[in-house]
Amino acid sequence: MLLREVDYARPATVEEAIALLAGHEGARALAGGQTLVNVMKARAATPDVLVDLADLEELRGIGFSSDGLLEIGAMVTYTQLIGSSEVEVARPILAEVAATIADVQVRNRGTVGGNVCVSDPTNHLPPLLVALGATFTIRGAGGERVVPADEFFVGVYVTAVGEGELLTKISVPPASGAGDGFSGVTVGAHGTYVVDAAATVSGEGVRIAVGCVAATPVRATEMEDGLSGSDFSEDTVREAAKGLGESLDPPSDVHGSADYRRSVAETSAVRAVLQAVERRKPS
Amino acid sequence: MSPTNRLLQGQGSTVVETGAPEVLEKGYIGQSIPRREDKRLVQGLGTFFDDVRRHGMGYVHFVRSPYAHAKIVSIDVARALELDGVYGTITGDEVAIHTDPFFEMSVEPGGNIKDYALAVGRVRHMGEPVAAVCAATRELARDAADLVEVEYDPLPVLVDAEESLKDETILHDDAGSNTVWSGVFDWGDVDQALADADHVVKIEKLHFHRFSSTPLECAGALVEYDKGTDEWTLHCNHQMPGVGAIWMAPALRTGIDKLRFVTQDIGGGFGNKICLHPQYVVLCLLARKLGRPVQWTEWRTDQHTANAHGNERTFLDVEVGVMADGTMTGFKVRALDDCGAFPRYEPLGCIIWAQVTPGLYGWRSIRVDFTQVCTNKSPVSPNRGYSRMQHLWLTERIIDIVATELDLDPVEIRKKNYVKAEQMPYETPNGCVYDSGDYAAALDIALDLIDHGSIEERRKEAASRGKLLGFGIGSTLDSGTNNFGQSTLLNPDLQFSGNNEAASVKLDIFGEVVVTLGTVPQGQGHETTSAQVVADILGCPPDQVNVRRGHDTWFNSHAGFSGTYASQFAFTGLGAVKGAAELLRTEMVQLAAAVLQAPEEAIELADGFARIKDGPEEAALPFMALGAIVNANNAFLPPDFNPTLNHRYVCRPYFGMVDTEKKTGQLTLTYATQIHAAVVEIDPETGVVDLVDYAAVDDCGVRINPMIVEGQVHGATAHAIGAALSEEFVYDEEGTLLTSNFYDYHVPHALDMPPLKTGAMESPSPVAPLGAKGMGEGGGGGIHCICAAIQDALASAGKAIVYTSCNPPHRVWSMLQDPEATRANVSVTSK
Amino acid sequence: MSAAPAASRAISLEVNGEAIEYEVHARRLLVHFIRDDLGLTGTHVGCDTGNCGACTIHLEGDSVKSCMLLAVQADGARILTVEGLAGDGELTTLQSAFNEHHALQCGYCTPGMLMSAAALLEQNPHPTEDEVRVALQGNICRCTGYVNIIEAVVAVGEGRGDEPN
Repeated sequence: MLLREVDYARPATVEEAIALLAGHEGARALAGGQTLVNVMKARAATPDVLVDLADLEELRGIGFSSDGLLEIGAMVTYTQLIGSSEVEVARPILAEVAATIADVQVRNRGTVGGNVCVSDPTNHLPPLLVALGATFTIRGAGGERVVPADEFFVGVYVTAVGEGELLTKISVPPASGAGDGFSGVTVGAHGTYVVDAAATVSGEGVRIAVGCVAATPVRATEMEDGLSGSDFSEDTVREAAKGLGESLDPPSDVHGSADYRRSVAETSAVRAVLQAVERRKPS
Repeated sequence: MSPTNRLLQGQGSTVVETGAPEVLEKGYIGQSIPRREDKRLVQGLGTFFDDVRRHGMGYVHFVRSPYAHAKIVSIDVARALELDGVYGTITGDEVAIHTDPFFEMSVEPGGNIKDYALAVGRVRHMGEPVAAVCAATRELARDAADLVEVEYDPLPVLVDAEESLKDETILHDDAGSNTVWSGVFDWGDVDQALADADHVVKIEKLHFHRFSSTPLECAGALVEYDKGTDEWTLHCNHQMPGVGAIWMAPALRTGIDKLRFVTQDIGGGFGNKICLHPQYVVLCLLARKLGRPVQWTEWRTDQHTANAHGNERTFLDVEVGVMADGTMTGFKVRALDDCGAFPRYEPLGCIIWAQVTPGLYGWRSIRVDFTQVCTNKSPVSPNRGYSRMQHLWLTERIIDIVATELDLDPVEIRKKNYVKAEQMPYETPNGCVYDSGDYAAALDIALDLIDHGSIEERRKEAASRGKLLGFGIGSTLDSGTNNFGQSTLLNPDLQFSGNNEAASVKLDIFGEVVVTLGTVPQGQGHETTSAQVVADILGCPPDQVNVRRGHDTWFNSHAGFSGTYASQFAFTGLGAVKGAAELLRTEMVQLAAAVLQAPEEAIELADGFARIKDGPEEAALPFMALGAIVNANNAFLPPDFNPTLNHRYVCRPYFGMVDTEKKTGQLTLTYATQIHAAVVEIDPETGVVDLVDYAAVDDCGVRINPMIVEGQVHGATAHAIGAALSEEFVYDEEGTLLTSNFYDYHVPHALDMPPLKTGAMESPSPVAPLGAKGMGEGGGGGIHCICAAIQDALASAGKAIVYTSCNPPHRVWSMLQDPEATRANVSVTSK
Repeated sequence: MSAAPAASRAISLEVNGEAIEYEVHARRLLVHFIRDDLGLTGTHVGCDTGNCGACTIHLEGDSVKSCMLLAVQADGARILTVEGLAGDGELTTLQSAFNEHHALQCGYCTPGMLMSAAALLEQNPHPTEDEVRVALQGNICRCTGYVNIIEAVVAVGEGRGDEPN
């Protein structure tokens, strides 16, 4: 609907942004705004200061680190991700999943940083990045630190990014023959996920992350262990998935009961793994 | 102009005599002429009410109840008034002083409900307006609303109609009961029909869910008050202003003529913009109190929470009699309708379904025990398909459940029981007359479009991919042109009967053809189709016909039932246009005859001229000449000839009176047919339903503009698909609406729509002025066929019975997990 | 601009080719700036949560929802609204196609649809039906079922913009 009064600043550098975020208690970073503006319209959040990251070119790049990691700036939009040849070469699943987020208008503005920092359990990128084993670079007044995906998502709307800090980039290992899969049930085509699962199958093993079933993505560690060194046949995968649903305590809401989510979590995990297996390339 | 049908009352039965309508030679009528409305709309130059600005206007935000049911202990606006830029406020106490409660249509006790423009003393649904704040900007009004302090004392909440029926918690003390209306409709001899039947199929419970068409433009108005003349002007989007004024004027203690409704472009209505009178009265009071124009635009959240839901109806204890050969003998049902916190347009929904009592079928014995109750949910409004859709869904569910239980083919059982083309016009057990149609032929077209013959093959192929394929038919009727006398079957004291619509057609001073309508278009192309009709009558190209946009009380082109609703524009709206144009035509011919000194029979109107047929070129008068003569140069006309070239016509469809004892009568005049067919594929592990093939066949009689008709079919189909697969207004036990935005209340987007195949037939209506039936609502065919298709798909996976009208993935999944739970609902007793 | 946070700002932007300077509150949504402050009422509001797309405009050539942007965020930017599509009342091929193909009924979603379709055609002059659906996924229509809208855009891509279905 309509926002409360708010102060707005548009810093020119990351340092200025961090200073603003640290210097004002009720300050929030404004990235693409596709979540924050909504939340402010509903008056569910009322920051005192909006720090607009739009001019921070440093955060908009996609490239490779010296050790071959795909580095995606926090302000990279979904549209940029989809159109990036680096992403296509290194880890195309990122672009494929991003292409199903909402619609073109949202994708033109929404950013990867925003998607992960919101840490909404139904967001697309958190479970995917957990499955891919991504790392997150956070910068504050005291310097930079790198946080692995399994530690980045702390709770609903809560991440490892603290007050006065900014996520600057996400680093994703290149596929190098690994296969990735993503599956779930949405509310309508390209809608919000009701349950989703992401899986990576590689020489190093299996990583499976389930979304929408807890405050943060859940690693299906028992299923991962069950598949370690297996033949990855459909029967094997289904067998390994048994019990995953029971181990979860998902919410019940208008889009599905807890039992529905448990069942679809298992189904999604199976399908994500089978997709990943199919797309695996021999090393 | 002779009446085209007559209703004769004789010895307890009604006989209908029909004659062919006056058939206009089809010229522009029947052509898919592109719409003239588009030019302004594609440039963003339409004028929707929120586009209208007035100097010094204030913006209004409503303070709304966070509780579904509570006593209002106190309201304090002091802090809101202190905010810089706030112009004023209004609360329920002031409303109770300055206005009278709105007119209620029901009998006691429901008729005793007191409904004011703001909550007075008590709130009865979440989102109910409690106070209003007016400020210099939208943002300030919103801020000020947060400063209004309201203290509530919560009361027990009723969100279930069956619970409400018990009257343990009373929502309206003035009524003393939650029952708004209740009565039994009994035609034929149901007990005998069930006794005679070879099989009786019982269905314990079916549920038609709450949803609405959610037009993209929300409700609203900009209201000006003229202190000098004590008149209000409402720039608004009310789709039935005649009835709006009937509610508002007495409440405001003013004359109907003191309320001027001006609509221009409206962003969809679908029945959701009929019950806007409460908020509009608040705006009228504020405009008068504050001495400035005030503007309110409804928020999407508020439209979902507090404006207008479609009727929610539970059908209990259905019993259907079926002969061994599949002929259905009759059925009975208990219907429980949930109208939300306030009836408003209700209880009309308690009778409107009776326009289609037997659906498309030849049942002669039907009993409906109908009750309507209030609950702490949003009030309902006549949503697209109003009340008939719910009932037709019931008849289609009955057909498919009978077919499933008795192992009959859904196509064959329909053809066996459909009213036949040879029987048209067909009188139903309660005296309605289905004017024309060939249901079996329409079904065949749908089956052909969907390639019905290949269904079993496709089922096998889908199974090989792990999917459950299902095929379903949804037959429906769109009944149009209401007889408001049907309201007397609910309350014999009501002074309503018949129907009307008005239009004016004139030649302006220089002969411009100008049309004003009483209708209130919200996208149905009234300007274009009116121009087509007028062009054919006046013999000029449609481009020469200027149709004024929207509805304006000052056009004086309206009558009590004016508006756009209830699928009747093609009959009453165009009937009024036709009538006015014909009056004008007659005068133009007389005038031309006088000027050209020829007999009237020798004059024709063609190519934009009034001329002597086959006469010399000079014997032709352009319209400009006719207009100029009458308006500026009329001295030579004989004293006894006084043409005005300005005619207003009221189309009054003829129904005769209804029989309040037997509850029979002609409740409506035209019946458009729509047969929908769907093929679905269900993912058995997730319950996700994919629409893989879809066909909709429409028969609305003569199509004035086939392109516009097809557009309506597309739109009605999309609404039905949304309702069938995802759109649901869901409440928790506290009366909180859980689907108040477009994330959770998912409507079809471009990627959700299957490829749509459409077909059309024309069975002209013998009773409509142009042979054209109203068809804008559609009748919910998509809901019926998708439910049927899902049930068919599940037949091989536990044979669940589809018992509710909305089946999102989690519900389909539940039916797959526990089909027996749904099957326990159904039983068959056979001789 | 100074980096100090402020409750209102003077912004400069280009709207439909015209340079505009305005003082706006930081909290003012871009859609209300366009409609109420600039009087360009072709861009519409249809929901509260950025789902319906009736507010779609072009920001630096990209289709975006103007209800999900603050006016201050458009400082220094170039925006195009539906009023900027046709020059001097001469309808574009796309607008004519909407008319010929009956791609609008009430017209409320139409400006947003046109902006999304125009952005698509700019990048992909000959889109398939599926590509059109994806491009219009962020624009809700409650009247047409999208059928004729998609046909109109596909027709423009095939050079049949002004032929009826």
